[in-house]
Amino acid sequence: MEKNYLQHFLYPSSLFVSREPYVIKTILGSCVAVCLWDKKLKFGGVNHYMLPNWNGNDLASPKYGNIAIDKLLERMLGLGSNIKDIQAKIFGGGELLERGTGNSTLIGERNIRVARLMLEERNIQIIASSTGGRRGRKILFFSDTGEVRHKFLEKKVY
Amino acid sequence: MGNLTDRQLLKELKLRLEEKKKVEVEFTELSKDFQGVTKKLKESEALKSHFISNITNEIVNPFTSILGLSKAILSVEKNDWKKVVSMVALIHSEAFNLDYQLRNIFVAAKVEAGEIAPNITKVNIRSLVQTVIDSFSIISRKMGVEFDIQFNIDHGFGKNFYFKTDSEKLKLILSNLINNALKYSYKDSKVIVKVWLDDDELCASVQDFGTGISEKNQKIIFERFKRLDSGINSINRGHGLGLSITKSLLDVLGGNIEIDSQKGEGSTFTVSMPEAQNIVDGFSGDGNDIFFDDEDEIF
Repeated sequence: MEKNYLQHFLYPSSLFVSREPYVIKTILGSCVAVCLWDKKLKFGGVNHYMLPNWNGNDLASPKYGNIAIDKLLERMLGLGSNIKDIQAKIFGGGELLERGTGNSTLIGERNIRVARLMLEERNIQIIASSTGGRRGRKILFFSDTGEVRHKFLEKKVY
Repeated sequence: MGNLTDRQLLKELKLRLEEKKKVEVEFTELSKDFQGVTKKLKESEALKSHFISNITNEIVNPFTSILGLSKAILSVEKNDWKKVVSMVALIHSEAFNLDYQLRNIFVAAKVEAGEIAPNITKVNIRSLVQTVIDSFSIISRKMGVEFDIQFNIDHGFGKNFYFKTDSEKLKLILSNLINNALKYSYKDSKVIVKVWLDDDELCASVQDFGTGISEKNQKIIFERFKRLDSGINSINRGHGLGLSITKSLLDVLGGNIEIDSQKGEGSTFTVSMPEAQNIVDGFSGDGNDIFFDDEDEIF
């Protein structure tokens, strides 16, 4: 069934939304992907961010959760979505690095927290999630049905 | 219920108090985070309006020159070729600058929109470096700056060395570094461009003998829209995006950038990047394989 879909591989720091049926693939370590899906118009999109909050110095890119989530939502609304019809699924945010290496740890957890906070603030329901843990993930997002296929990676990604 | 002993009551109250404290701590943390973000947004807003005035110069000035010069050419006596040639050279350098700056701005817009992705091909590094340097030849000649190219990779196919990477992004990275080196060089000096391999990583450095960057300023030059007003040759040129863009592009390629500079003695910028892989952990380069099976969890 995958054959009928256009494909998009989602790189870190990018996002993708389409009204055409796409299967969007990505690989997550401590990064988080938020999948938004419009249950009425039956389309959706995904982002893939690496760090929770923008540091104010780099380009304001979707490398950062607070920017990536707003941009994704903006894009959905731009394509005709009503915010009431949007549902969210969150994936990723594993801790792949060994603990105890300074305060750089817990990136995964902070990434997840940004997603939960921002979605709650905007009254977007999180209907499914698979976050945390110590392993990386591969996900496939079907933009027309909102279905996500999910698999843990055996070996560490980074 | 209702039959709590004093001790139980005390314990319960203590527990609740502790919980409340925990929530409070978390709350202060969050509000600190929030204040930080707000402050940064405000700063960035201010910088952005700065940027707009910079960019206006960057686009409007070359256009004005191009329009003026081409009009002048139209009214030149037909047999006065020398005059025409020099004006065409000026038009070319203005147009080059315009084209190059617009490329930067579009890339920045793409990065910020989350639409940047590596486009990997086998790239002839020697010819790419040469092309980039050649494109600055008119400007460097005008400034009397000479390029010293040190290509220190021997192996490969004949004299050519191929490396899997994104050629357009690499071009822009090098262009930005070379443009900066020229901008901060003194007249009649040189710019050294070195290329070499280090543990399979492609490295390139661009060294100038210009103003140099103080240690304090080395930390802020990567911030977007920030410009140090110490350019000798072009006091108010540039939009302050060059290095932020360079850094974002290197992010896409998995690379790094380092500065080595001392005030008054010039600067060396060194970039390094790994060769791109065809296979990203289970995805083939074109992403056309089906690797999911019945064991998938479905959400």
